[in-house]
Amino acid sequence: MRFRCRSVVGFGRDRMVAYNIKRDQMLNPMDMTGKLIIVTGASDGIGRAAALHLAMLGAKTVLISRDVNKLKLISEALGKNPHKIYPYDLTDLEGIEDLIRTISEENGKIDGMVHCAGVSPMMPLKSTKYDLFHNTMLINFYAFAELVRCAGKAANCNDGASFLAVSSVSSVKGNKAQSAYAASKAAVSGVIKPMAKELSSRGIRVNSVLFGIIKTGMYEKFLEQGGDMSLWNGQYLGLGSPEDAANVISFLLSDASKLITGTDLIADGGYLS
Amino acid sequence: METSDKIRLLEEMLELKNGTLNESTALKSIPGWDSMAALSLIALCDEKFHKKLSGDKILSFITVKDITDFMG
Repeated sequence: MRFRCRSVVGFGRDRMVAYNIKRDQMLNPMDMTGKLIIVTGASDGIGRAAALHLAMLGAKTVLISRDVNKLKLISEALGKNPHKIYPYDLTDLEGIEDLIRTISEENGKIDGMVHCAGVSPMMPLKSTKYDLFHNTMLINFYAFAELVRCAGKAANCNDGASFLAVSSVSSVKGNKAQSAYAASKAAVSGVIKPMAKELSSRGIRVNSVLFGIIKTGMYEKFLEQGGDMSLWNGQYLGLGSPEDAANVISFLLSDASKLITGTDLIADGGYLS
Repeated sequence: METSDKIRLLEEMLELKNGTLNESTALKSIPGWDSMAALSLIALCDEKFHKKLSGDKILSFITVKDITDFMG
């Protein structure tokens, strides 16, 4: 006992902290202490809930959204922990490289990223012109691909990092008026597989999660636009909450899922079953 | 825009023959007046008249005149 105490004292403070973090992560693989996680679309809905949940698990979160005022509010909700906000419009694809470089230079290498930013336009096929496809792809797909391309560089992220896209059951079972949205989410499902293979040599994982209906602002907008909820009767566990979604996101960003990569994880209350 | 032009736009949107609709036509009597038509109407009002139309507002429409009046 005496030897063990002396041994621990001999660790020094930094090594002792590292030892405790490692022990905690072994006991609870969803522990995120010290991990730097980027959350896009962090000002609302699933992104906001994910940021709060990741922070509770110990992560240092980097929050990205266009809305600086909402980012400040969520930053206040996160308290004094070392969280950062980076107001940015991710449809400006050209600037993402600099954004990611700045984040890693100012905060250290990235351990994970979840892309929650997105749009879900409802438009009948006959009114869905190419520009709606383009605008939807811009944030739902191109921004995600560019984020992973830049964040996946060795200079910007640690080995073992986890990258995740919030996707939808619409990627495999799109409903009426979802042509652009379904196509953009299906593109995500397509791209994660080669990404996962290319980055696997460094233990980096790339996944997406297919959510069913989650009760967020997008859901409210869906109803406001006359969305037909009868199409979702198959979600027999009921509608998910943003907190339910945050649990799944934290799982996929944590070491608890370290064998899962190149996969669309389904979290849909049974809709696709 | 003249009322007749607005009605023509609605007929095109609903893929109806010219002259099918008039101001007194009840929306419920129109073949194809459903949730997809409602979404198309939202897009039409936004694109042609720069007006935001909500689902609740659409539910308050009874006749074609209610729509043409909203278009302004």
